[in-house]
Amino acid sequence: MRRFHLSPPVAALILAVILFILSGLLPNGFGSNLDIARSQATNIVRLAVFLGVIAAGQTLVIISGFEGIDLSAGSVVTLTAILTYVYVNGQDDKVLAALLISFAVGAIIGLINGIGVTFLKISPFVMTLGMSGVVTGAIIVVNHGNVSGKVAPIMTRIIARPISQAIPIPGAIVIWVIFGVLMWLLLERTTFGKNLFAIGVNRVTATLSGVNVTGMNLATYTLAGALAGFGGFLLVGNTGVVLIQLGQPYLFPSIAAVAVGGTLLSGGKGSYWGSMAGAIVLTLITSLLTTMQMPDSVRRMVLGATLLVLISIYGRQRGLRQ
Amino acid sequence: MAKSLSARNIIKRYGGVEALSDGNLDVHTGEVVALVGANGSGKSTMSKVINGVVVLDGGQLFLDDKPVQLSSPQSAKKLGIATVFQELSLIPQMTVAENIWLTREPMTAYGTVNRKEIDKKTNELLSLFQGTYKTDIHPHDPVASLPADEKQIIEILKAISVDPWLIILDEATASLDSRQVTRLFDLVKHWKEAGKAIVFVSHRMEEIFRIADNYSVLRNGKTVGSGKMSDINEKDLVKLMIEKESVFSFSRTGSKKPDKADKPMCLEVDGLHTTTLKGISFRVREGELVGIGGLRGQGQRDLLLSLYGAKPHSGKIKINGKESKFNHPRQAMKKGLALVPGDRAREGLLYIRSILENLLLPSWKKYGFPLKIAKAKHDAGKIAESLNLKMAGLNEPVSSLSGGNAQKVVIGKWLMRQPSLLLLNDPTKGVDVGTKAEFYSLLTNLCNEGKTILFYSSDDEELIGLCDRVLVLHDGIIRTELSGETLTKENLIAASLGISNGGAL
Repeated sequence: MRRFHLSPPVAALILAVILFILSGLLPNGFGSNLDIARSQATNIVRLAVFLGVIAAGQTLVIISGFEGIDLSAGSVVTLTAILTYVYVNGQDDKVLAALLISFAVGAIIGLINGIGVTFLKISPFVMTLGMSGVVTGAIIVVNHGNVSGKVAPIMTRIIARPISQAIPIPGAIVIWVIFGVLMWLLLERTTFGKNLFAIGVNRVTATLSGVNVTGMNLATYTLAGALAGFGGFLLVGNTGVVLIQLGQPYLFPSIAAVAVGGTLLSGGKGSYWGSMAGAIVLTLITSLLTTMQMPDSVRRMVLGATLLVLISIYGRQRGLRQ
Repeated sequence: MAKSLSARNIIKRYGGVEALSDGNLDVHTGEVVALVGANGSGKSTMSKVINGVVVLDGGQLFLDDKPVQLSSPQSAKKLGIATVFQELSLIPQMTVAENIWLTREPMTAYGTVNRKEIDKKTNELLSLFQGTYKTDIHPHDPVASLPADEKQIIEILKAISVDPWLIILDEATASLDSRQVTRLFDLVKHWKEAGKAIVFVSHRMEEIFRIADNYSVLRNGKTVGSGKMSDINEKDLVKLMIEKESVFSFSRTGSKKPDKADKPMCLEVDGLHTTTLKGISFRVREGELVGIGGLRGQGQRDLLLSLYGAKPHSGKIKINGKESKFNHPRQAMKKGLALVPGDRAREGLLYIRSILENLLLPSWKKYGFPLKIAKAKHDAGKIAESLNLKMAGLNEPVSSLSGGNAQKVVIGKWLMRQPSLLLLNDPTKGVDVGTKAEFYSLLTNLCNEGKTILFYSSDDEELIGLCDRVLVLHDGIIRTELSGETLTKENLIAASLGISNGGAL
């Protein structure tokens, strides 16, 4: 008498497809024109890439358990976006260095988060929220509100434009797919990944089985920071401009995407595929409501309600409960 | 108050699994009924039926020969049926008194909680086990600060605080030491005389024969026998439980090798101190099976954890002749040590993860990058097979396994690493008879292969039947070492209680 069981990433994707088809029926939708439908779908996935990459670090810290969360992700995104923008200043040959800087700066901030959480025993919520404030403040102090710079042409070409005339898929999506495969490898095919799930479920068991919980915790927050840094690099490559509130709007959706993807917020269970699907669903709902010309207040209400419904459905499923 | 409770032809299904297909039980006031059966035979389900936790799929309960429906634990409580659960139902953050009187707090005339009355009543209850606590328990002590055995006692006190006529003791003795068990049994006798009925669920044969008047045996969800304890012996009772008689013939194995004096030293410990250990020194030779005995909480857990590097300690430890100072279990693992911890749910397993991941947790590094999952599965499958692990598949979560099979996973994850020194902390606690027998032959085989085992057990029979030597711990020191002729139950108990100073009587 086994009940029919859908894994959360699949459920989220099915939801996305249904929503997309329904959106064709809207007055401003694609109607029955397949070309428009395809380009709309591509566009939504392209927009989801940035949320998806920022949600990657979030996925890791949430799986690591013990109320793991990274509230500094948004401000790290803003910081590395601005750094990239200023440093590159329109020169193609500085792009690779900017990418490494983005990773490194994110990693350092993540490491400090990890030290606070691991050694000073500050709760991840408080630690990363504080860090978010510090980083945002630092950005303002350093550039006094004036940012001058320019994105390099090569970044726009790789990230924002389609790969070629014949294949109308933006580079960002290709990057995201490769990124997703790497994340899957990390979580499912490395000792790091296996140990990450272990510390998320039970740290005593993990320690007694030889897992270096302290090291794992530091590494996880550092990696999460680095991934947020990468997110900033990608984002500025797409927008081409920076503003002080560039990353912040992605923070809560990044947590929501993880939850929609079926990752347990208490840790120890989840996948990056889920977070990818979650990012697509959230982006789709947002753009749908925008197409329907809903005011911002209604958009927030619908988004919030969708989250509640999805998560309560997961909560009722066997296996996600003890 | 009622006089008797009967369960007739009880059927209970969980999903597709029939936990009870024909469960029967009769309890009358003034008697103790032992409900026995292997793990997964339906004992726990049967106790849940009597106390209203589960809804029946078939059959009928009778109270004083009148049909009765128990729709909830509350309705059972109202009818005077109380249960002492194996999994503790206490709230750790609350105090002893708050836990016992939760939802039934005595009130003052003003409608506030009458603290004086609560303290008085709590002290009365606590005095029932006076003298068995490590330190005196105060009603305002938080439950979280108590050791496991004393939590279990509070659980018992909570159940009897409602003054029930029927008390179900579901594995209530599993975490108690022998002194506490004796006290509990004195109380049970007293309750019996006072006209209460007791259903006693336990894996410990010796206890069943000590306390029960009648027995009722479950096997695969069916009641296969019942009668008076005086009409049956241990062997026949076990036979009823497991059908196969051969499984129980573990004790006094012929493979106990008397002479291992020529083997090299595997473990040398000198002056080991921790917060609870006060200078422990002993030697273990390769291939020996050395038991650690004594009452619960005398430092056995600390000793094993210190050796394994999971607890800060001072003193000299030599492994295979080389001095070792472990600060993390990882270092101990590299030297071939393995630890089966005492609390498998909290220390040994990742409950929501798969059996595969649990088995491989200490060994993932061996499988390279990217992890060779197919090879890992193959290796895990072999271990699972050799341990006779009953499971639906390696990808099922550990939470789907019964207690005995879950414990096999804990042992299996270490066997995958081929350890040379195994530290076991009460590995057969809450495990059914059949699985216990499998463990015994496994341990004997491992020793014959030249592995060294240090084995703490709360079951005296086990230590006597299995070990070459037994170190008896009392209050943080090794009180006595028993071996050969001196390894008898009398000596073991005497030394545990710290009464006599020599096993070598």
